[in-house]
Amino acid sequence: MIEYNLSEQSEIPPGGEFSVRVIGVGGAGANVLDRMALEGSDEAELLTLNTDVRALSSSVSNNKIQLGKTLLKGMGAGGDPELGKQGALEAVDEIRNSLRGYKMAFVCVGLGGGTGSGAAPEVCRVAKEEGVFLVVFATLPFSFEGKRRMDQALEALERIGRYSNAVVTFDNDRMGELIVPKEGVQQAFAAADKIISQAIRATMKIVSHPGIIRIGMDELLSALNSENSRCLFGFGVAKGDNRAQEALDQALKSPLLDKGKMLDQASNVLVHVGGGDSMTLFEIELVMQELSKHIDDAKTQILFGTGTDKKLGANLTVTIVSSLSGPGGQRREAPAEGPMANREPEPPAPRLGSSLMAPLSPPPAPTSEPENHTIEPVAITEESSVAEIEESFETEEVPEQEEVVAEVTDPVSEPVVEEPSPEIEAEDIALDDDEEAAEDTPVAEDVPEPVEPEAEIEEEVAEPEVETPAQPEPVKEREPIDLQPVRKTAVVPPQTVRKPVIDVAPISRPKLNVGAPIASVHDEDEDDVTDSIGKMLRQGRDGTGLPHEEEAAEPTGDNEPTMPILPPSVAGEGDVIVARTDDSQQISLSRLMPGVSSGSGNVAPGTLPQPSEAPLDLPENATQAEIDAAAAQHQQMLQLEPLSKGRFAKTEPTIVDGEDMDVPTFLRKRRK
Amino acid sequence: MARSTIYVGLEIGTSKVCVVVGEVRSDGAIKILGVGQHPTSGVRKGEIVDFEAAQQCLHDALVKAEDRSDVMVKNVFLAVTGAHIDSLNNRGTIRISDDQAEITSENLEEVKEIARDVSLPKENAYIHSIIQHYYVDGQEKVLNPVGMLGQKLEADYHIIHGVKTRIQNAIRCVREVPLEVEDIVFSPIAAAQVVLNREAKQQGALLIDIGGGTTEYVLYIEGAVVASGCLGIGGDHITNDLSIVFKIPIGRAEKLKVDRSSARIEGIDPDAIIDLEADSHFKGSKIEQLELNSVVDARLREVFLLVRERLDQTGQLDKVGKGIYLIGGTSLIDGIEELAEEIFELPVQRPSSASMSGPAAIFENPQYATPVGLIRYAQLLDEQRPQAGALSNIGKKFGRILGFGR
Repeated sequence: MIEYNLSEQSEIPPGGEFSVRVIGVGGAGANVLDRMALEGSDEAELLTLNTDVRALSSSVSNNKIQLGKTLLKGMGAGGDPELGKQGALEAVDEIRNSLRGYKMAFVCVGLGGGTGSGAAPEVCRVAKEEGVFLVVFATLPFSFEGKRRMDQALEALERIGRYSNAVVTFDNDRMGELIVPKEGVQQAFAAADKIISQAIRATMKIVSHPGIIRIGMDELLSALNSENSRCLFGFGVAKGDNRAQEALDQALKSPLLDKGKMLDQASNVLVHVGGGDSMTLFEIELVMQELSKHIDDAKTQILFGTGTDKKLGANLTVTIVSSLSGPGGQRREAPAEGPMANREPEPPAPRLGSSLMAPLSPPPAPTSEPENHTIEPVAITEESSVAEIEESFETEEVPEQEEVVAEVTDPVSEPVVEEPSPEIEAEDIALDDDEEAAEDTPVAEDVPEPVEPEAEIEEEVAEPEVETPAQPEPVKEREPIDLQPVRKTAVVPPQTVRKPVIDVAPISRPKLNVGAPIASVHDEDEDDVTDSIGKMLRQGRDGTGLPHEEEAAEPTGDNEPTMPILPPSVAGEGDVIVARTDDSQQISLSRLMPGVSSGSGNVAPGTLPQPSEAPLDLPENATQAEIDAAAAQHQQMLQLEPLSKGRFAKTEPTIVDGEDMDVPTFLRKRRK
Repeated sequence: MARSTIYVGLEIGTSKVCVVVGEVRSDGAIKILGVGQHPTSGVRKGEIVDFEAAQQCLHDALVKAEDRSDVMVKNVFLAVTGAHIDSLNNRGTIRISDDQAEITSENLEEVKEIARDVSLPKENAYIHSIIQHYYVDGQEKVLNPVGMLGQKLEADYHIIHGVKTRIQNAIRCVREVPLEVEDIVFSPIAAAQVVLNREAKQQGALLIDIGGGTTEYVLYIEGAVVASGCLGIGGDHITNDLSIVFKIPIGRAEKLKVDRSSARIEGIDPDAIIDLEADSHFKGSKIEQLELNSVVDARLREVFLLVRERLDQTGQLDKVGKGIYLIGGTSLIDGIEELAEEIFELPVQRPSSASMSGPAAIFENPQYATPVGLIRYAQLLDEQRPQAGALSNIGKKFGRILGFGR
């Protein structure tokens, strides 16, 4: 049943004195505010709070408060909520002044980092003390950002909930799944920001505009009743003959609503229909009728409101606000079409496609933007794109952009360091992919690639963050660490990327200690090493003679750093070809060369020292000369017996699990 | 419906173009009037790579079919395939408004729209959306809910989609011949119409069509398509494997595959030698039968494993009650049935032909299952949407493929 709820209480007094503060805390909050400013928000007064002075200065909102002026000296909170909190306390008077006299405030914040998680609860506390009606829009971090950040976020959320009248949480994991699965990171985040800013704006409109059937704060509150809940929000605007239907369709299409499916489970749904003077009762009826198809009206209470606004002209707007209860329920609940986010359109990898058949296969958010390469001319650079995504997640999502420190330290280093394992697979596939790439993509060889990502990173860093002048050092420091993976993994097929990013964190840790432990790692996992080398061989040979010649010509030690990371990626399936250990080991060393040496030649000099000291450890049982000989010998062998693709040599390759199906299975098996 | 209709099925396969002209009599029986086929060139892995060459082959096959059937062919049903074609299942839900007494066919359309509203990759287009089951207020497996009472109507759809431009290319190639394409059908779906009878579909059956360049599969459980797809591996790969492993020319490898190869490894005399005679381009060689079989076995085993891997993800494979049906040229290889039984742990059934008349050699040969299936598909399509609807629907479908709509 439709309920006309016309309660007087807790309404905001109408008219001119109604004023709203919209406060963005931290980097993510500022992004939403920027988005709102961009779209032109007449009623709300925007206020940005941040610790990082450079991020603050780039913000377009007219009011800004720098947190922790003396404590942090314009740097970010570095992922430490305590610093964020202290910073907020330092500026508490300014915050209080800025809130004074307002009836209502919205706080947008991205939780998980330092400024957001630390300062936002303080801001809320101040607002509460000032008697402001407070609605908080909080973004939860991606799950790949690690448990610690999630814990920080939840803790902050809990405190925020204590002070605020309503909390609306947006789950970044869901953003990744639902918003434009294939579009670039920029668009994805822009869309996420847009949804949040739309939500704020619509909420503001609903409660502030005079309505024929008025919706008050109480309705809004009951629609959002369950704390910790997932907010369902949809907004649609349309004009023309069929505007009622179109606007509703648009509203239901909102990713947060999941095409109206989610409404089924909500207990309160707030619907607001707004339009110009031309809006007819019939149109409202139409909207409500259509909507009721998605709502189980026996269980669900519909809070309905409507109002006219001359500014809307011929437009008709439909706003749907609701929430799903159950704090756990909102996480990782893949929607029916979730798997589509998985689709990797790039190389024909039947394996991926087939995952579509399992409707609930986990769609990892980070890899769902394969189209990312719009920025890069490199076609198969899945890995580098992942690196970028992480980069930008870091920058866009986390409120404190200045987390360069965090980048190097514990929580964040996980995603960064995880890459090593894919690297290797990258390496070996790179060898034959290079040739294929030459066919399929504009990139002839991987030489230019390393340079690209590097530039990319710097851009990423510079653009959204805008570091303080005091920050150059940390930025540099992070370069070598980030860069390495990017360089090496420039050519990786999508499958290899996905797995490691999500689950291999602990294994890849050793990579941090690049220097010393290499030899020992290598020893212990010798079997594994050889096996993976076998793989490498197999795949490497898929190509024709060309790369091998280069190899033989240049058997320097640069390839070393990749060796120690081999074991983790293939651990478990060892001891198949122990017998050929020595030989194949050497061969594989030589095989690694062209990719790496050409790559490292292009990398910032800072990264070189590491590799060059490593090789001394590794070939314990083989001198350089021996390796040379072995490489040359092997090369001859290769020329005699190439792994040919025969008549399929020029066709689009069919690659499953990184194996080229066009090469006779018989031969591939024998290589194993 | 006292009329008989003539339909033409066209399959542009990797190894051959096949045109089948069939007549659907007023009693529903199908008579094959004529078949034209021609070895293909310009098609790789199920997709046309050389327009002109493919068109030439198509033209030759068409002329033969017209000659034999004495029918002027204008419209065809076209089978499409290619590794880009993929599928997924999706469920749509609508709530029937209270003032509505019973479920109407408009509701079905509506729920279909919702079920189809999945985000496909930008470049992909729908090929089929096949209804699996309806659910009315949680009641499972309703076949036709029109007229039923209910508040909540759900529908499971199996959606097959592929890269739009690639499908358009196939259509364009045929249109330039010129022939009008009435509808496109994903080839295993077509083949299933003749190979699987109602009982097999109901009990659960897996159809695997191993053609020249591709391997397609479709899985029926309880009368509904639950999985389908295509791998870019086929009989040509076996030929290629033999050619590479034994270093013999492709032509000889093909002959060797057809005449002597087998997927059996056990029970083969390890000393059995095949003597390949020399000719002007080939100095001749001797090949061990066991090694030959190992090469074939390795390849087919891999193909089956890949299919199995995909089907395992649906979790429906253990519901297959009837078994596996192998069709396509490669299914003629000796020992392939045992291999399939071993890998899928399901019995392999011999395809039995549906109620059809005409030259028996045609519809009983697994190589022709797809084009003949197209005729059956056309017949079913016509039954489903009688007279007036047919044309406009086809128009709609076309619009979809050619880029209007999504």
